[in-house]
Amino acid sequence: MTISVGALGTIVVIATSIATLAPILLITLFILDWKRGRLW
Amino acid sequence: MIIAEDVAILPEGIAWGLLIAFSILWVFLGWFLGRKNKTAEDHMLAGRNVGLALATATAMATWVTANTTMTAPQLALQLGVWGMFGYSLGALGLILFAPMARRIRELMPHGFTSGDFIRLRFGKFTWRVFLVVSLIYAFGWLVSLAMAGGVLINALAGIDYRVGMTIILAVCVLYTLLGGLRAVIGTDFVQTIIIILGVAFIAWLTIDKVGFEAIHFNLMEERPELLNLLFPAAIMFLFNNLLFGVGEIFHSNVWWSRAFAFGRSVGFRAYLLAGLLWLPIPIVAGFVALATPALGINVPVADMVGPLVAAEVLGLTGAIVVFIVVFAALASSLDSLLAATSDLVTRDIYRGHIRKNASEHEQFRATKVMVVLLGLLTWAAASYRGELPIIGSLAAVLYFTGAFVASAIWPVVAGLYWRRANPTGAALSMIAGTTLGLVSYFVIGFYVAALVGAAVSLAVLVLFTWIAPRDFDWRTLAEAEPRGTAGASGGLR
Repeated sequence: MTISVGALGTIVVIATSIATLAPILLITLFILDWKRGRLW
Repeated sequence: MIIAEDVAILPEGIAWGLLIAFSILWVFLGWFLGRKNKTAEDHMLAGRNVGLALATATAMATWVTANTTMTAPQLALQLGVWGMFGYSLGALGLILFAPMARRIRELMPHGFTSGDFIRLRFGKFTWRVFLVVSLIYAFGWLVSLAMAGGVLINALAGIDYRVGMTIILAVCVLYTLLGGLRAVIGTDFVQTIIIILGVAFIAWLTIDKVGFEAIHFNLMEERPELLNLLFPAAIMFLFNNLLFGVGEIFHSNVWWSRAFAFGRSVGFRAYLLAGLLWLPIPIVAGFVALATPALGINVPVADMVGPLVAAEVLGLTGAIVVFIVVFAALASSLDSLLAATSDLVTRDIYRGHIRKNASEHEQFRATKVMVVLLGLLTWAAASYRGELPIIGSLAAVLYFTGAFVASAIWPVVAGLYWRRANPTGAALSMIAGTTLGLVSYFVIGFYVAALVGAAVSLAVLVLFTWIAPRDFDWRTLAEAEPRGTAGASGGLR
């Protein structure tokens, strides 16, 4: 059973999209923690 | 040892410039963040109140190693789509550790290491078995990371393997020495951002320049087994890798020290979020290797495939991006492992076995000495890459430790949640699981070592506890010594 082009493409695009958004989320959390004095 | 002089795509001058610039950045950050450390607890646990952003980033960065950015493509090349999917299941280790981190923090508010837990929970015999398992794993991981550093620099710039490996290791030793866990966590945040952006950038450009149609067509022509969803060895690898990742995280002091260091309500959320964000990264990093047939790239050594594809697709920019990403990935894991392993050796070997009345100041100093000694040992082992029977490819070194870590899964889980777990059973489950896991590694293949180790360990622990259950008072775990009493109380119980 072989994975189709569509399935491969969908999985990779979803994974890459999440990876692209992750740094934005981390920086947002950092700013929130910093403003609340909860970095450390 | 020159592996890739003829395929180097990053001019040596640029490589040296990047090495020097990032080395200075990491060492400066290490010094800056660690300058207020006054006690062993500051140095080892960063004040025990790390917030969500830094906690999530450090869990992610530590789990995104050079093994992720380089071994995920290697596994995709060898095992196809299941190679990268299987690697991404490593995220389950982080996700499943989330509730454990909360319980660890509740049960052991003054704990320092995973060794503390095993000693208090199961006694000295099991503790010593656990230390052997844990230290062999830690050393295997350290060596595989150092090797990855040397391979990367050699593959991209043609710089001698030993020179590159030595520089990366020395930089990590230096800033870990200067700043302890605070430096490790602070640099991890910056490194996480760099790694994820770099990996995503390379994947988007590979999709854009090569395309799924071309990748799929060429794989079907040249390596159809890589697209096969019923590739037997790959499916075994998937389950093996799941157990390997869970075993690594559940037992290793890298993750336990963070559970102790994160703020009281932070551990659960940080590990859960880190796992969810980590899940796609091996797919993103591994996918590029599937483009190899479409690009017509000759891959002389499997663990070089990631850098080679990036350089082929993006030219000089790709080589620079990969270089920075893997340097950050290497540093983020090497520093964590150096810090956590030096803590374990200091706390459980030096103070637990050699100098039981060591003062806080002596422990502080010992931790730093251990960082240097570990660095030197790692350097010596990684220098002989390919010249010893078991020190081969990155994956081979990494998965050799699979039998060890998987055999520790059930003793740790039972120790935290099963009041009647038998201590002798816990020790024997690690010994039997490791032994048979190693036998399967050599007889069957690297992809079953963790599977066998975990299954045997579970059977032994359940059998012993069924025959001879032992009661345990959870409050015993809270007796790990609080700050300031080290030495004064006469050492470890």
